[in-house]
Amino acid sequence: MSTESSSTVARVLKPTILILIAIVAISSRLFSIIRFESVIHEFDPWFNYRTTQHLVKNGFYDFWNWFDEKSWYPLGRVVGGTVYPGIMVTSALIHNVLHFFNFPVDIRNVCVFLAPMFSGLTAFSAYLLTKELKDSSAGLLAAAFLGVAPGYISRSVAGSYDNEGIAIFLLVFTFYLWIKAVKTGSAFFGLLTALFYFYMVSAWGGYVFITNLLPLHAFTLLLMGRYSNRLYVSYSTFCAVGTLLSMQIPFVGFQPTRTSEHMAALGVFGLLQLYAFAELVRGYIPPKQFRALLKGGIVAVAVIASIGLTILSFSGVIAPFTGRFYSLYDTGYAKIHIPIIASVSEHQPTAWTSFFFDLQMLIFLFPAGVYLCFKELKDEHVFIILYSVFASYFAGVMVRLMLTLTPVVCVSAAIAYSTLLDTYLETSEHVLASTKPAIAAAATSAPVVIEATTSDSKATGKKTAAKAAAAAAAAAKSADAEAKTHAKSAASSEKKRFPIFNLDSRLLVILQLTWFLFMFAWHCTYVTSGSYSSPSIVLASRQQDGSQMIIDDFREAYYWLRKNTKEDAKVMSWWDYGYQMAGMANVTTLVDNNTWNNTHIATVGKAMSTSEEVSYKVLRQHDVDYVLILFGGVIGYSGDDINKFLWMIRIAEGVYPNDVKETNFFTPRGEYKVDHDATKTMRESLMYKMSYYRFAELYGSGNAVDHVRNARMPAEGPTLSVLEEAYTTENWLVRIYKVKDLDILGRDLKDSTAFDKGRVRKISSLKKK
Amino acid sequence: MALLTLLITTTTTNAQTTGDIIAKKVSELQAKATKTKGIIELDSLAFDDVLAKPRNYSMVVLFTAISPEFQCVPCKNFDPEYRLVAAGWFRIPDKSQIFFGILDFKAGQSVFQKFNMNSAPSLLYFPVSDSPESSPSFDRYDFGKSGFQAESFANWVNARSGLKIDVQRPFDFVAFSLKIMGFSGTVGLAHFLFTRGGKVIRSKYLWAAVSLIRHPPYSMPSRDGRPGFIAPGFQNQFGLETQIVAITYAVLCGGAISLMSSIPRIESPSKQRLAVIIWMGVITVMYSVLILFFRAKNPSYPFRLLF
Repeated sequence: MSTESSSTVARVLKPTILILIAIVAISSRLFSIIRFESVIHEFDPWFNYRTTQHLVKNGFYDFWNWFDEKSWYPLGRVVGGTVYPGIMVTSALIHNVLHFFNFPVDIRNVCVFLAPMFSGLTAFSAYLLTKELKDSSAGLLAAAFLGVAPGYISRSVAGSYDNEGIAIFLLVFTFYLWIKAVKTGSAFFGLLTALFYFYMVSAWGGYVFITNLLPLHAFTLLLMGRYSNRLYVSYSTFCAVGTLLSMQIPFVGFQPTRTSEHMAALGVFGLLQLYAFAELVRGYIPPKQFRALLKGGIVAVAVIASIGLTILSFSGVIAPFTGRFYSLYDTGYAKIHIPIIASVSEHQPTAWTSFFFDLQMLIFLFPAGVYLCFKELKDEHVFIILYSVFASYFAGVMVRLMLTLTPVVCVSAAIAYSTLLDTYLETSEHVLASTKPAIAAAATSAPVVIEATTSDSKATGKKTAAKAAAAAAAAAKSADAEAKTHAKSAASSEKKRFPIFNLDSRLLVILQLTWFLFMFAWHCTYVTSGSYSSPSIVLASRQQDGSQMIIDDFREAYYWLRKNTKEDAKVMSWWDYGYQMAGMANVTTLVDNNTWNNTHIATVGKAMSTSEEVSYKVLRQHDVDYVLILFGGVIGYSGDDINKFLWMIRIAEGVYPNDVKETNFFTPRGEYKVDHDATKTMRESLMYKMSYYRFAELYGSGNAVDHVRNARMPAEGPTLSVLEEAYTTENWLVRIYKVKDLDILGRDLKDSTAFDKGRVRKISSLKKK
Repeated sequence: MALLTLLITTTTTNAQTTGDIIAKKVSELQAKATKTKGIIELDSLAFDDVLAKPRNYSMVVLFTAISPEFQCVPCKNFDPEYRLVAAGWFRIPDKSQIFFGILDFKAGQSVFQKFNMNSAPSLLYFPVSDSPESSPSFDRYDFGKSGFQAESFANWVNARSGLKIDVQRPFDFVAFSLKIMGFSGTVGLAHFLFTRGGKVIRSKYLWAAVSLIRHPPYSMPSRDGRPGFIAPGFQNQFGLETQIVAITYAVLCGGAISLMSSIPRIESPSKQRLAVIIWMGVITVMYSVLILFFRAKNPSYPFRLLF
């Protein structure tokens, strides 16, 4: 197979295939742009977009020191110190480079297309990573898998301008560099790992995964007795430079030396130094003395370390695990202690359907790939095994962490798939030629010779094997041991291998596998197009005649706010819509998706869930001019505020247990009702009133039906006295209310409203008579 | 004048007698509770008596159905936790302020009906009540929100009565030794796997374990009464369903592995062909089954393999 001509063809084919994969990866992420338009999606991207705009307009230093007084009113937010700036800086850089070359690309388009572009790079780094583990054909498969796997697409479609969009590329590429560093033992690759780790730290909070996985890998290798100078050099370089660099991000600050999440990295660093020192000492003193010294040293170090750690953590120098982190271990933790974390749907545990939905056939090839890694078990395979075990656990705990699992699933499934192809595509002459000398060599039981001969069977295994053989010849101690283990495993697995004799069984397997690939591609396209390509600020629904209806209420409402309110108007809403309002309506918000202040969010929850009188005080105290809510009862949009209301109540109750009680919102039978059976507290809450204000009028006498909760509403709707309706969008999806000023006559607002209404009623009743 | 004094004396004696009655009741209750580990077993009569107004103590009552014929699993689970909290009653400085009662469905059906209770366990807190006229007020403990843990229940009581009840769990030697054994077992297994290279596939066990994190119900009868093993809805799943899917994945994965490592070891061409056909058939059928399961969860999924 490895003739001159075929290798030339492969040299041309590989880049072509990679480019094609990148094109597929990018274009399958463009559904939303083709269907809707080039817009920023969802919630968090709007904040990233807004800060990027600020960065491009005002420059880096202004962005770094930006105090944003338009959010978290009246507290404000230090944006420069509370963001991961990686994604903003990346797109600003791209924007500036393009403008330097006179390509007048709008910053919005840079932001919209950033994630798809990076997905191409991710596919490429998956290729590099898998090439280090098996060979380049497995690498190409891995690139193709990762390019279209829905688990990754879910976070990187065009318009989804979020940290994860570039972070997954950085994750995979950092892992590639790390494996390269461990394999070669070069400080250069260790340094590159640290640099990309720094980029990752600047881009996503998930960097903690790398911070813990790399030390874990080093530690496991140490336990397996695979300490080598390569490991020492690469890990020491990475840890020293990476930790220092990561502390340059203001949001991370001194966390790497202070929090328990980062302690593993430093601990393994210290351990490696001690181990290296012990190795050094061993070379100079006789074994007997060394053993005594080692025993004493281990005990002393263990005692000192444990005492030191205990003192440090009790004195508060090392912070205990943060709540978000802790909820990964105890899934019930968040539900009881931090409702704000539990309230986010992407923090929920994962069902098996999500696994199938996001990874389809890769799921069952994944364990097969891990099995192959176990069989091979070189240093880099240990890494993949550890990565897969931990990522599977985290993905099972939290839907959102499916994202970190997807790369390793693609890589190891590609290894399995390409092994299958190798087995069933190998031409028989080649297999026979390579197995015969292997068997013969096994008989001679000379490990180095076996290593050299069996390597012929694998085109790419050649290099490493040759290296190992050369090293063995040089009689380097560690390399010799390594070569022995490799030779052993190679000998046992190659001992009785036969080719696939029959053409029909080859064909059966290959055709079936190809068919599976087709199905995988269809599945990915179906999932991407159907589920992951909705911008969620513009909704599309099918009407009965099959034509598509675009529901654009969000932008309608935000645009109304932008054009019809004072520039410094304060708008209160639940935190979900904070970023969108700031980005699209340019108004001041009380709370937003950066949920840093639970009390402030609970205050908003209190204002929403208490009666008008109590709520009015809160509204006045916070200078609120408008209140914005989502109401899906008319068109059946289930993600509206009444459905989120329970979380508002729960979060408010956590801070104001005397004002808000969750039980009061449930009927005696424990049901959450909005119709006739709704409790008094429910009917008097501001949220209920705002949602159903004038709702019954829409339907005529007594026929009002809430389409989300399938509830027949009372004919007499709620009345409002401290608020007045300011704007309701076309499909009633967004409703905006203006907070009334204090009454000019000093009356209670309830009385004045009643007075106004009373007169109106009198005149109309007179007219009737 | 004489009449007036007479009236006054009678009222005071009345007050004294009610006071006496309450004091007597409290001492009785205290004696009873001390005898039975802090818990007062109630029936319909005793319930009315204990909660008669006025009273100067608060009362926590667990409505439960512990008898095996009710098959109330949560009742059984919560019972030891409740007793744990009640045992903490001994450590309260003033024991006359609060009492813990248990009312079993068998002993107090009428009370269950009076409180319109159609599910057990229910936990009610009756605060101190001075006048006989005040309407029956009580607080219900929300199991769904606060959970079945003794500690959270003790906190809940503390928030209402102001009494700090500390829960002391007996040291569980069995669980502790199990944990130790489990830990050393894991370490040993990991050591074995890493040193020997091993042929054990860990990931498929992992899948099953992962889905058990949510503590789902094992299976539930469907509407037509047959046992259902696939939970309706995309985000729910039953324990049995998890196991079925895990087995499907295990078979698929095993098929892939034997295709790549066992089949090339078969020496005879005809046997090898047979093995390839069998394994390919198994994979295709199981994969179709998996897709079928997925279609059951997500009816709009358009793809199918065999059926």
